[in-house]
Amino acid sequence: MDNNEIWVYVETVGSRIEPTSLQLITKAKAIADGRKVVAVLPEASTIKAENSLQAYGPDRVETLVDDHFTNATDEEIADALFQVLDQNRPNSLLFPATILGRSIAPRLQAKLQTGLTGDCLDIFYENDLLVQVKPTYGDNVMCDIVCPEKRPQMVTVRPNTFRAEKVTDFQTKVVKASFTFHKEGNSQIIATDPIINSSSKLDDAKVVIALGRGAYSAKNIQLAQDLAAKLGGMVGVSRPLTDEDEFTHDDQIGIGGASLSADLLINLGISGAVQYTVGIKNAKKIVSVNIDKDAPIFDESDFAYVGDVTDFLTALTAQVR
Amino acid sequence: MKIVVGIKQVPETDSVKIDPNTNNLVRSGIQGIINPFDKNAIEAALQLRDQAGGEVILLSMGPDSYTTSLRDGMAMGADRAVLVSSRAFGGADTLATGYTLAKAIEAIGDVDLVLFGRQSVDADTGQVGPIVAEFLQFPQVTFAETLELDSEKTLVAKRQLDSAVQDIKLTLPAVVTVRKELNTPRYETPVNIKESFEKPITIWTEADLNLDLAKIGQAGSPTKVTKVYAPTKDVKKTVTLSPDPAQAVSELLSQLD
Amino acid sequence: MSITNDQTKMLIQMIKEFTANELAPIDMQIDRAGDYPDGLFQKVVNTGLLGITLPREYGGAAFDYQAAAESLEKMATGNASMAVTLEGHFKTIEQFIKYGNKSLNDEYLPSAAKRIFAFSMTEPSGGSNPKGIATRAIKQGDNWVITGDKIMITNGGLAEVYCVLAKTEDDQMAVFVVDKDMPGFKFGKREDFIGLKGVPVGEVVLNHVVVPDNHLLGRIGQGLEIGDNAHADARVLMGAVLAGIMEHELQTAVNYSKERKAMDTPLYQLQVTQEKIADIAIAKENTTALYQKGADNKVANKPYAEVAAMAKSYGSRSAVASGDKALQILGGYGYSHEYPVEHLIRDARAMELAEGTIEKMNLEITNAEIAK
Repeated sequence: MDNNEIWVYVETVGSRIEPTSLQLITKAKAIADGRKVVAVLPEASTIKAENSLQAYGPDRVETLVDDHFTNATDEEIADALFQVLDQNRPNSLLFPATILGRSIAPRLQAKLQTGLTGDCLDIFYENDLLVQVKPTYGDNVMCDIVCPEKRPQMVTVRPNTFRAEKVTDFQTKVVKASFTFHKEGNSQIIATDPIINSSSKLDDAKVVIALGRGAYSAKNIQLAQDLAAKLGGMVGVSRPLTDEDEFTHDDQIGIGGASLSADLLINLGISGAVQYTVGIKNAKKIVSVNIDKDAPIFDESDFAYVGDVTDFLTALTAQVR
Repeated sequence: MKIVVGIKQVPETDSVKIDPNTNNLVRSGIQGIINPFDKNAIEAALQLRDQAGGEVILLSMGPDSYTTSLRDGMAMGADRAVLVSSRAFGGADTLATGYTLAKAIEAIGDVDLVLFGRQSVDADTGQVGPIVAEFLQFPQVTFAETLELDSEKTLVAKRQLDSAVQDIKLTLPAVVTVRKELNTPRYETPVNIKESFEKPITIWTEADLNLDLAKIGQAGSPTKVTKVYAPTKDVKKTVTLSPDPAQAVSELLSQLD
Repeated sequence: MSITNDQTKMLIQMIKEFTANELAPIDMQIDRAGDYPDGLFQKVVNTGLLGITLPREYGGAAFDYQAAAESLEKMATGNASMAVTLEGHFKTIEQFIKYGNKSLNDEYLPSAAKRIFAFSMTEPSGGSNPKGIATRAIKQGDNWVITGDKIMITNGGLAEVYCVLAKTEDDQMAVFVVDKDMPGFKFGKREDFIGLKGVPVGEVVLNHVVVPDNHLLGRIGQGLEIGDNAHADARVLMGAVLAGIMEHELQTAVNYSKERKAMDTPLYQLQVTQEKIADIAIAKENTTALYQKGADNKVANKPYAEVAAMAKSYGSRSAVASGDKALQILGGYGYSHEYPVEHLIRDARAMELAEGTIEKMNLEITNAEIAK
């Protein structure tokens, strides 16, 4: 038997709370159906992230406080969580499918001898079972997965799948969990260097101009960059253009690249293969330009322009303030 | 150094069929290839072997057809291969798979390093590496984008998070999962291709391993697939803009925000 | 499936990947630059491609001639130049295997996996004509002293080991093996050809180069026979290269015909386009059948010189004509340097004259038919 709670793992790097954890707290509350939502938070003593968490309205925050968490390894975190979870297992345990989440969750899964479904795109309850919707084969095939007997039912969830929402009235209990930090002798994080490239990532950009094979030219690249600068946005590309000199893997949208959450996305010369469109699901307004009226991208678009990319870009640049 | 590389054979094509009875994918009849990230793992193993001496052993759990990928890995230069294969292992989820592989690694014995690709391109979970590490009680680095021998018994790796890069030091034996960016896998060479058919592939069933039968195959799998389906496309109502570019832009701008 | 088939399948798969990743993306760059970029040849060596046909005891993979030919066909689909570089090497290795004595092979073949071997016959005075050969090999004790000038050697300048056709003092033809480190050996002019721009084609000048007796390939008097054998071995592989070029032309024409419309009709639905595409596809299949038969016969120790001549003669003319058809389908884009079609024609055109002209092929085929 489980304690019928939904636990959400709160990942912190330094004092930065991983946004996906907040998104999961909101989602957990949305599907809770009477269950308590508990945020579990390993942190060093100075961080006090529970103060920010309360605004998202979990019923409870369980803090695991130890200064070793500034620099803890996957194994150490999994061990600490295991101590807190093992005796009184929650119904479900949600992790962000970040690098850390995807590294810690399966270790914990093996300790708990339970089921874990990774990189989910949706979760919901059918009676007591958490239905875990998982993409496979590069997002070409969807699977619904359940964990009928073992507890907790564990998932990792893809970042930016859900939106985080603050609540106006919250009554979050903060409880310090009891555990002992076990320092591992055979692994150690010897350095953590913040990424200096602090310019926003494509995933977070509010405006994205995306270039595809059909639009690849020096002129269009220039126009796109100028337009992006004007609109305070970023330029991204579909996978084929990452092979060109002007772009790198960091500029890629879709499978293996960024998942956009932009308010405005302008697709230029992009045909709209599934591998690309997976990355644009959460863009609010999508405008697509392509010379081929049958390009699949138009099925994903709010606005369609069938014609030449350069012509459209030139006209758009001229009319945008 | 004794290095085991866990590999998986995946379908080559993007168009896959679904078996309505098991709700799992039909794995037969489609050309199998070695999981692309596993090639990076094999390359990392070969480089370490070239540097420190030792042996690179490929390990896979699956049907007989997986020998294709094991040969491919040996054609890159791996020394030998172990295939864990039996009906009893079928239907395994990540927990049962990780358990079985961990037992096989114990049976291989005296392993210094276990390498995996960061995930397989069919199931896309990336869980088996850390699960194996947990069962073996080995330390781990996941998503390694650099990997170096620091001393005879230690490795150093870099792992990139969203906002930071970690430098992690491991004492062997350990498990590492690797990213594409780690290296460029070498091609199979004509000589190694010939030799790959001369190198041994050992096949183990559940009888050869010291296993708890309740922990393997379908019996040992806490998760179950209840439904497999194609993703539904949300139908969008698309507004087609005027063919004249200037006209189209002004239509667009008036309808946005 | 036999083990041999599985091994060949793996080899071909690797060649396809190597070609797609390392050669095809720089095909036009190689044509423009007139050379292989730095590091490319080393990659080819490091991937072990020079040793495909080399015997196992010399560090090679000992794949059969069919596998070697198919490898070059697949490679030529991405870049014909590198396929021809390997063709020049493989055909030369065949002469060592067939005619080389053990001490010569033990000395040279271990390095054949790492450096190119070339076969040189042509001289300023004559191509395939034995009367025109002016290179002399004079016996001096246990050695031979070789003086002469060989031009238009495939891989000349890149290759380090050269088989040289020479005339002895009593006018007998023989083939000797020299290498670039021998005193008296000098590289000469490199040709500026219009196609296969990556392949260096050059001259070597031999000024009293001294070689020991065991550097004789086969016997004195066997020179022309070895030359003919080398031609036949080359022509089989050239058939494969030409089939690969035609595949490239076909893909270009087909892709274009699918995308492009003439008055709302995709080009591939127009009969004039269909005729051209069908012609290219058929010519490619024919050439493939010819080179495969040549390779099969060679491996089965059956006569293959005539079929090899056919593969080169038919294949080269077809590849040039097919390129022209593909160019026409692409219209203005076909006539442009920015599309690959025009350089494919220039690449294929070489094989209407290299390793014996079309006219010479006609002579050989006729002679073979008359002798039946």
